[in-house]
Amino acid sequence: MALTTFNLPDLGEGLAEATVIEWLVAEGDEVARDAPIVEVDTAKAAVEIPSPVSGRVVTLHAADGETVAVGAPLISFEGEDQAGIVGTVPPEEKPRRRVRLQNPKQ
Amino acid sequence: MSERSMQQALNEALAEALAEDPRVLVFGEDVGRHGGVFRVTDDLQRRFGEQRVFDTPLGEAGIVGLAVGLCMQGWRPVVEIQFDGFVFPAFNQIATQISKLRTRTLGAFGLPLTIRVPSYGGIKGPEHHSESVETFVAHLPGIKVVSPSNPAEAQTLLGEAVRDPDPVVFLEPKSRYWARDDSMPSPVGEYASRVVREGADVTLFAWGATVDRCLQSAEFAAEDGVDVQVVDLRWLKPLDVDGISTAAGKTRRAVVVHEAPVTLGLGAELSAVLMERCFGDLLAPVVRVAAPDTPYPSAGLEDEYLPSVDRILLGIQSALDG
Repeated sequence: MALTTFNLPDLGEGLAEATVIEWLVAEGDEVARDAPIVEVDTAKAAVEIPSPVSGRVVTLHAADGETVAVGAPLISFEGEDQAGIVGTVPPEEKPRRRVRLQNPKQ
Repeated sequence: MSERSMQQALNEALAEALAEDPRVLVFGEDVGRHGGVFRVTDDLQRRFGEQRVFDTPLGEAGIVGLAVGLCMQGWRPVVEIQFDGFVFPAFNQIATQISKLRTRTLGAFGLPLTIRVPSYGGIKGPEHHSESVETFVAHLPGIKVVSPSNPAEAQTLLGEAVRDPDPVVFLEPKSRYWARDDSMPSPVGEYASRVVREGADVTLFAWGATVDRCLQSAEFAAEDGVDVQVVDLRWLKPLDVDGISTAAGKTRRAVVVHEAPVTLGLGAELSAVLMERCFGDLLAPVVRVAAPDTPYPSAGLEDEYLPSVDRILLGIQSALDG
């Protein structure tokens, strides 16, 4: 299991912070990737942020009404290990063998 | 120590290096804001700032060239080449600048830089994402090459690489990034190999991702009454010639296992070293278990290409038979 912390992104308007209007998930919830997790107010608009990963919510780093700086931790998830941009995580399983050794000492 | 992955261990090693030495810089493709495609640089930019941990354009020649220049100005760059197959666009810098600068300047400029390369196969990656480049870099004078096999080793060796006065290419076994264990730092000295499993009948020499496969093979061999020793080379340049010779001299039979193609893979060098050092002791020719001389295949054939437990066991059998 891996812990992933998602920082508040720059929501595209060059703003330095946003205020949490309402969390749409609670700590302990299982969320799917791209499901809406929070509604924030950027002073220009109310924006809904989708979940960047699938996983279980471990920590909400701000309460409703609290202001978060861009780049500061917003939410932490626990979930399965994610591979890099390519490839897969190899399974940790004991390999099977077909070859048997003939020990000349015996 | 609790269990952790190699990703986490490398992340801790980079954080330690950044905290210890203000000259250390971390840069490469996606290593800053994104935290690296394998999360190895996760959160480092937030912790240490955009001046010390930063993203570069997608261009390996530029990344390594920048590292050379910064190094000459007193910085200690630790750069990431995102995947092994993209070492080659930077190879001109590595071969013509990094390899030669200390000698060319009669010692006036050393290059204490580290090039981290997620390496080898085993993740069913696409073309150019599963290469073993150790021979290419280890062949160059003036460059050191090291490859860890578990989390504790990764942390120790990356620390040593960053502090080293010479350029170090650090090959990270990407198929082992996620495997967790509670391994402890090994007590062996700098540039030393380590015996990870004692045995009396045959010695397997491995590094990076193949160490774990060799340990699994050794367990199977034990079921058949064959006592296999496993040596993790750790440093591929300089090779721990004394440690290697001692280990092979003890069992008098040796097998080298690597993911790179067999022709002129590092197994050829090891075999030559053992010929020079242990010829009189060896009871059988040194066996190489490696990839065939073909380009790295697509994902569906990867398991046939990489040294499997069965192929390693056949190698052991060959060494036993002489």
